[in-house]
Amino acid sequence: MISRNSKSFSLSCRVNGSELEREIPSSRSLLDFIREDLGLKGTKEGCGEGECGACMVLVDGLAVNSCLMMAVQLQGKELVTIEGIKGKDGGLHSLQKTFLAEGAVQCGFCTPGLIIASEALLRRKPDATLEDIKLELTGNLCRCTGYEKVLSAVEKARRK
Amino acid sequence: MKLCEFIRPATLAQARASLRKLGPKGMPLAGGTALHFMPGKTPVSAVDLTGLALSYIRQKGNFFEIGAATPLSDIQRYRSPRWAMHEICRRISTHQIRNVSTIGGNICRVFPWADLPVVLLAMNARMVIYSGKAKEMGADEYFSSQPARLFRNGDLLTAVKIPVLKAQHGFGSVKATRNAAAFSMVTIAALLELKDGRIAAARVAAGSAIPFPKRLRSVEAALLGKEPSSETFRAAAALAGTDAKWCKQEGMSAEYVAGLAEVSIVDALERAAEFARGRTA
Repeated sequence: MISRNSKSFSLSCRVNGSELEREIPSSRSLLDFIREDLGLKGTKEGCGEGECGACMVLVDGLAVNSCLMMAVQLQGKELVTIEGIKGKDGGLHSLQKTFLAEGAVQCGFCTPGLIIASEALLRRKPDATLEDIKLELTGNLCRCTGYEKVLSAVEKARRK
Repeated sequence: MKLCEFIRPATLAQARASLRKLGPKGMPLAGGTALHFMPGKTPVSAVDLTGLALSYIRQKGNFFEIGAATPLSDIQRYRSPRWAMHEICRRISTHQIRNVSTIGGNICRVFPWADLPVVLLAMNARMVIYSGKAKEMGADEYFSSQPARLFRNGDLLTAVKIPVLKAQHGFGSVKATRNAAAFSMVTIAALLELKDGRIAAARVAAGSAIPFPKRLRSVEAALLGKEPSSETFRAAAALAGTDAKWCKQEGMSAEYVAGLAEVSIVDALERAAEFARGRTA
């Protein structure tokens, strides 16, 4: 039985393709771990209670709200943040390109979460329908673009 | 909530022993989303259940058995000819939360808005509890009051057994929400058994608009022996106020909630009847 009977925990995981070992406070949220400990500021804090999707990341390929997870739950798993979403050539990912091309970004605060959620869907279902995309993005709030351009961007990325 | 300790047991026995030793500050952890609803400074020692092979769905005889740490997204994606659980799981919160939240977390401590207790009451599910050895408890007893009472001495929910629907069975559920990801305003689930064109058995349950999920026994009684028609369903639904005192909610009077509940009961019964007819065809 592994017990960390102290205020810290020895975390071992993969972050954006690299192995990582770090002593962290047991009470650290995954969101704080990403932003404050790892300095990866692309993941945003919005509502802090799992409703807006701005803090979304991939854990073992599944989209999750990092504000609702503890960092210790990452033990032995793979984390991908928006900084780890790249094209095959190391440049922009196809979703990032279509978001730009469609004008699906306004203030940009929700965009990392939208890209992460869309990426999770397209990995799982490359032929996702518009209905699938709408369902997948119900956990992402955008107060600027009105979603039409976002949906269009994900549809176009699907074809690439 | 302040997580002050994180324990990863290798066996159920170790998990139970840890929880017994920790007492009230011990908390079984699977998805962990409920941690965030706990008061700010509450010290918690988490006992992680995710390494105990409790995430699975399999058919065993007349039951589908779902491991307690199975995420809702897995239940949503599972398919089998006599399986209906995916329907309600698709309606719970967002995909990102369903990837993390588990069936056990949803029903070990029942929050007022929880949908699965309503469905499990209607389906007459059985809960498997580990207390040194496995024991089973029917949904009526399990949900007779807050299930957290069953786990104070370190016992653990390990699985939920859902009866396989038979050919003459039909299941329907309705969750009324303001938008796709919102908490339920009212949740209704209904299981009907049809025989010779009439209702031979019925289980109808409600949640969200009442303080704690429960069966609507007056509605069930009014259905027995009747033809599964809209008239029958409307007459039975009109009796729901006998079983449940509907509560007002934000922006909704108690009268409005009662009306919404009655309409939802009729819709759930219609879906259950349609399901049953589809099975018998």
